[in-house]
Amino acid sequence: MAAAADVRDMLNLPAEGQPRPHKKQKVVEKRPEGITRELYALLGERAPPIAINENKYKGRPKWMNKLRVRPWRMTPFTNGARTDGLVLNHWQRKHESTRPLAPEGAQMDVDGVTEEGKEDAPKPLEQEYTFAKYNIKARTPRRYNDDEYNRLLRSDDWSREETDYLMDLATEYDLRWLLIADRYDYQPRMDTEPDANAIVRAKQVRTMEHMKARYYKIAATMLAIEHPPAEMSEAEFDMHEKMQKFDPEREKARKDLAALQLDRTADEVREEAMLLEELKRITSNEQNFITERRELYSRLEVPISVGNTAMYQSSQGLSQLLQTLLQADKSKKRRSILGPDGAVASPVGQTPTQAGPLGRAETPSTNPAAGNKKGSISLPQQMVRTLTPAEEARYGVQHHERVTAGVQFRSDRAQKLTQAKSNVQTLKLAGALAELEIPVRLFMPTERVCKEFEKLIQSVNMLLDARKVAEKVESEIRVLEAAKAERERKSREAAGETPAKGDNPVKTEAEDAGNSGLDSAADASGAADDGENETPVKEDGAHKRSASVLSVVSDKSNKRQRR
Amino acid sequence: MNPSNPPQAGEYGGDEVSAIVLDPGYSTTRAGFAGEDAPKSLIPTYYGKYNADGQEKLIYGDDIFVTPRPGLSIHNPIGKDGIVEDWDMAEKVWEYSFTSRLTGAKASNPLHNGLNDISNEELPTDMEVESDEKPLADSPLLMTEAGWNPVKAREKTIEIAMEKWGTPAFYLARNGVLAAFAAGKASALVVDIGASNISITPVHDGMILKRGVQHSPLGGDYISSQIRALFKKNSPQPITITPHYLISSKTAVEAGQPPQAKYKTFPADKAPDATYRALLEERTLSEFKECVVQVWPGPNKLSATGPTGVSNEEMARSSPGRPFEFPDGYNQLFGADRFRVVESLFDAKAAIPDPDSIFPAPTQAQTLPELIKASLGGVDVDIRPHLLNNVVVTGASSLLYGFTDRLNHELMQLFPGPRVRISAPGNTAERRFGSWIGGSILASLGTFHQMWISKKEYDEHGANIVEKRCK
Repeated sequence: MAAAADVRDMLNLPAEGQPRPHKKQKVVEKRPEGITRELYALLGERAPPIAINENKYKGRPKWMNKLRVRPWRMTPFTNGARTDGLVLNHWQRKHESTRPLAPEGAQMDVDGVTEEGKEDAPKPLEQEYTFAKYNIKARTPRRYNDDEYNRLLRSDDWSREETDYLMDLATEYDLRWLLIADRYDYQPRMDTEPDANAIVRAKQVRTMEHMKARYYKIAATMLAIEHPPAEMSEAEFDMHEKMQKFDPEREKARKDLAALQLDRTADEVREEAMLLEELKRITSNEQNFITERRELYSRLEVPISVGNTAMYQSSQGLSQLLQTLLQADKSKKRRSILGPDGAVASPVGQTPTQAGPLGRAETPSTNPAAGNKKGSISLPQQMVRTLTPAEEARYGVQHHERVTAGVQFRSDRAQKLTQAKSNVQTLKLAGALAELEIPVRLFMPTERVCKEFEKLIQSVNMLLDARKVAEKVESEIRVLEAAKAERERKSREAAGETPAKGDNPVKTEAEDAGNSGLDSAADASGAADDGENETPVKEDGAHKRSASVLSVVSDKSNKRQRR
Repeated sequence: MNPSNPPQAGEYGGDEVSAIVLDPGYSTTRAGFAGEDAPKSLIPTYYGKYNADGQEKLIYGDDIFVTPRPGLSIHNPIGKDGIVEDWDMAEKVWEYSFTSRLTGAKASNPLHNGLNDISNEELPTDMEVESDEKPLADSPLLMTEAGWNPVKAREKTIEIAMEKWGTPAFYLARNGVLAAFAAGKASALVVDIGASNISITPVHDGMILKRGVQHSPLGGDYISSQIRALFKKNSPQPITITPHYLISSKTAVEAGQPPQAKYKTFPADKAPDATYRALLEERTLSEFKECVVQVWPGPNKLSATGPTGVSNEEMARSSPGRPFEFPDGYNQLFGADRFRVVESLFDAKAAIPDPDSIFPAPTQAQTLPELIKASLGGVDVDIRPHLLNNVVVTGASSLLYGFTDRLNHELMQLFPGPRVRISAPGNTAERRFGSWIGGSILASLGTFHQMWISKKEYDEHGANIVEKRCK
């Protein structure tokens, strides 16, 4: 401003007509810090708001200024882990408590410092040195005395002096055997034994195993002296056992092996790596195979209902069925993870879980059958080859008279046989099969097995029929006999007074007949159906056993008849 | 544990007592305060001796390089095997290493020290009292030594420290152990490539395994001698090294052309000793080592054939050469030769023969792989894999380009079974001052302070205490 006035003055220009608009500058908002004036001027009037981040040292917060300064002092200290009382100096925060309330003032302050310095110097801090607690030594056994040594620890191999030396080293190096073995350098005293014996000993090389064996023997003995084995704590006993069982030879063999392992040539290492790789590959392949097969199983495993549906016909049964189905559905989702072993409760209780795998066992043979079936229709294939009966048997080719549409399992057909029209009959059949130790679901439903099974079922049915007839006949006989006895009694009564002597035998007879169960029934059936083909050979063997089951059944039938 | 929080003082166990760590080597002596990350004072162990005004004068530190005084001869108090030979001079050099930078006149109360006084009448009397004090009166001293230092030398060391320097506490640590500490390991196989020696030190739990300590003279100086042999046999013309102090001016010449420089000449009575020239030549050679020399990185010897059927020598030749200009202006491209000068560290047969060299031709047993093998043979089989997994490389000569790669390959070939892992700090200072840094760590640990040999103990037991305490 002054410069402009000067220039006007020099050029004889009139003084400023109007005063410069001072106000305007005041209107302009304050220039933020951290931006130069020139730069700010360039921005113009309506500058966008700018945030200027400046990395500025913040300093300590204000409230800290009010705190008293805690000076650091070079203080002497002694180390509790040392025995010689060495005094070293380190910097330490001065303790508030030790500081006397000195009057303020620069002059006094200097005095205070010197005084305190004098005060501190002679007496190092009383408090325990922080690092002294880390001074720990390994626990070594108590040193033997002469008597104990002579009594228990004498050894031909180790002199007393050398043993002492070993024990000293063990203590000195805190039982770090690598170091003990490394520094072991025992020189037997020559002056005591100047003979050849000493020289021989000097030549002796002690290995780490020798030293360990000797040390452990001593340690174990000393431990046993202190606490007899009976009184030892568990840990002590363990240690005692371990020390006693130390076998230097084995240790040496181990180390030899380790050295061998270490000194392998590159080729050996490569070979080993290759073999390991191979092994890894094989195991992973196997794993893959297993998971794949598992997946396949879980796909193929469809539960087949074999039980009858009677139990689901009530509303309660239906809801139960729904519940189990839902459950099965849920677990099926997880089946791929769980695998087939995470067995799913099949909705129908009687469905055997192995139904899938068993049914599948025959699929290869049913497929050719299907192919053959087709072949019978398409001529060219038939012309290609005609099979001899022997071959047909071998390949499992079958001819069906009537073929239903779709796939069906042979085991299914066998299954159907075991289901009779009535529930009671089915139960009876199942009972008979259980007696014969034949599973309801055939293990290996091959063609021949199925046929045999069919035959068996037929004969069982027939036997059951025969027994039914026999029972019927028998009960009729009994009724008739009873009626006859009644009649006789009446006629006797009518004829005159006769003692009731004949009454008893008849009754017992009737009872016998009732109790004897199958014995009589079988006999009866054998007698009744003479023309029938022979009963399975097994029947005889199972004869005795089947009695109990069938007798129950027969009792039931008796009841029904009475009803 | 929150990693963003600094560790508590007690947690990392530091407690600094202003100890001084002195790491004397053959080529340089390192000294500094414990707790710092690099030595404050780094001086050459060499010292100069000359006569002036009829008196024998000695110069130490970097001064020895500077002025070619008449009759200046250079000596080293330490022998070729790293053991002190001249104790008087060693003491002086070591003393110089810490008095020149670390300890000075003690600061006294500003009211009484006279610095603030206007009239200085009573000043001289004060100074008299101070000068009587021993140089290390208030600093514990941690010194390092080679793993094969004999008992006598150790006793002499503590004697000097206690009686001449008056240190309140002293400790003598093995430099192998300290290098392992610097790498953060308590157990390691330390491969130290120094100036006069290469050494292998197995360290277990902070202690060396004496039976595994191996050393051989194939260090940095040996590599220098190999370079000299190479220069002698150089093909266009033998190369002579003219140190800077003999050059007055030079002009640039084409590669391989004879140098055009004006030389300084010294009359016979003014010239420095031949050892002075050798020392300065050595400086040029170490520059050469830093810029040109390279270790064949492996995976096989330089003389062997590579996996592709091309010999390694061929491969080395095909890699671009490196130029180097000598102080006199002569410059040349160094091709495969730059690999050859260090090859004998790994393969004794590859040594360049030189009948004039002070180093006899190396034997195979002196090479690095054989040393390591012998060293591991001397320790228990149980820790060998662990040692191989913790190989610590230290020493300035290990900074040769490609050295750790080659060492790694050699070790993998020697021991294909166990895992070999080399830990070599990339930081130059950490590699050069490995043992000093380890000493700095050790001497600033709170738990270490119980291990010092105090003056009192020394007075009680005599110098032999160092054998008992510094195991």
